[in-house]
Amino acid sequence: MDSGDAVLVIVVAVALAFDFTNGFHDTANVVATSISTRAVPPRGAVAFAAVLNFVGAFVSLEVAATVAKDVVRADAVTPTIIFAGLIGAIAWNLVTWYYGLPASSSHALIGGVVGAVFAAAGAGAVLGDGLLGKVIVPAIVAPILAFVVAGTAITGAYNIVGRLRPGPTASGFRLGQLASGGVLALAHGTNDAQKTMGVILLALIAHGSIPDAAEPQVPFWVVVSAATAIALGTYSGGWRIIKTMGSRIHKMDSAQGFAAQGAGAVVILAASHSGYPLSTTHVISGGVMGAGAAKRLSAVRWGVAGNIVVAWILTLPAAALIGAATFGLTYLFGAGAAGPLVVTVLIAVLTAAALVRRSRQLSLAGEAEAAAEAPS
Amino acid sequence: MIPPLAAEVVDWGSLLEVIVVSLVGGVGVTAAFSLAVLGAVRSVDSARERRPVAAGVFGAVAIAALSGCLAAIVYGIAIMVSK
Repeated sequence: MDSGDAVLVIVVAVALAFDFTNGFHDTANVVATSISTRAVPPRGAVAFAAVLNFVGAFVSLEVAATVAKDVVRADAVTPTIIFAGLIGAIAWNLVTWYYGLPASSSHALIGGVVGAVFAAAGAGAVLGDGLLGKVIVPAIVAPILAFVVAGTAITGAYNIVGRLRPGPTASGFRLGQLASGGVLALAHGTNDAQKTMGVILLALIAHGSIPDAAEPQVPFWVVVSAATAIALGTYSGGWRIIKTMGSRIHKMDSAQGFAAQGAGAVVILAASHSGYPLSTTHVISGGVMGAGAAKRLSAVRWGVAGNIVVAWILTLPAAALIGAATFGLTYLFGAGAAGPLVVTVLIAVLTAAALVRRSRQLSLAGEAEAAAEAPS
Repeated sequence: MIPPLAAEVVDWGSLLEVIVVSLVGGVGVTAAFSLAVLGAVRSVDSARERRPVAAGVFGAVAIAALSGCLAAIVYGIAIMVSK
């Protein structure tokens, strides 16, 4: 194994780790609506979502093709550049997770890769048209579209079932959420797992492992490994969510849950079919807010919507800056595997430190809350 | 008014297709499922009130609407897989 092979192995491992954290991070978005309306028990919802995320990764490859061909020039990319882009995305995800900012893993990934390519090969290697037309404009349109679709859908649903007895109606929509939640998980796997596939495909092209670089095909092992990583991440993330469920998610009725999940699923699937790499987090949030706003404007957490906008504006440039800086750091160690290895160790240490510090903060906050609630 | 650069680089036809499919699919499936719930609840209520014809009609509405939902989901996924 030469140093090029070693860098490729590191890139694939880091990409799959990113995919795992993507599933881990997004479980809440996918299953929260079903659990909050009591349509599905938490454990069942998480397991169901994990399986359908896995299946979803096999549905389409259009988004992977966009990431591999339309964002940066594939002939200007090296595995080390992809590595730097991945680190940019992971580091930004870590920062936003630490400060509770609802950032998009997808935007971070694309931002990181663009920043690293820009630093390594200049502006000419970034495909501005593809970035604007396939990433930025759809990223603005999709959450608004999910908001409008969910709002219109729930208004129609209330007109149809508004005079029925609430008990059986709620039970009916809870049953429907089995399907809408399942399709949402499938859609999530379809769009999000493909971004990792696209990045691995870029690294394989750069390494010379893909025979036809002009029309690259995603190898089957890449599809299976990306599907497995996102499914395992979804399943692992679920156990953390089950513990915190019930207090953080505002209540919605099962018809709203059905409309929100349906809107999120159809927007993500339609966009995936056209090859648009969306932020599934923002689309699902748009659907939930649309279903809430149609019933009562005050039901929407407009502060969360504001945070999403702030995170949206910051993510692409911030991840790009970190990706560029990471490339600069690895460059100092030469073209071999030393740079990626050092950076991988560094990011692992930083992640562990952030996890320990955050869990201590949460533990202290929990103790303070318990002390405040205790009878004096 | 679309800025000239955006007009050139964005595939508005494809984006419009996403918007139309999302609106028709999202609103249509929710409306169809709402009709299925309406049909099922009214069918049970009619049967309880001993009105068999109404129960049968509402039951048929529920089955037709539910079939429409399932068909839409299967059709959507089949289109994605076939591309």
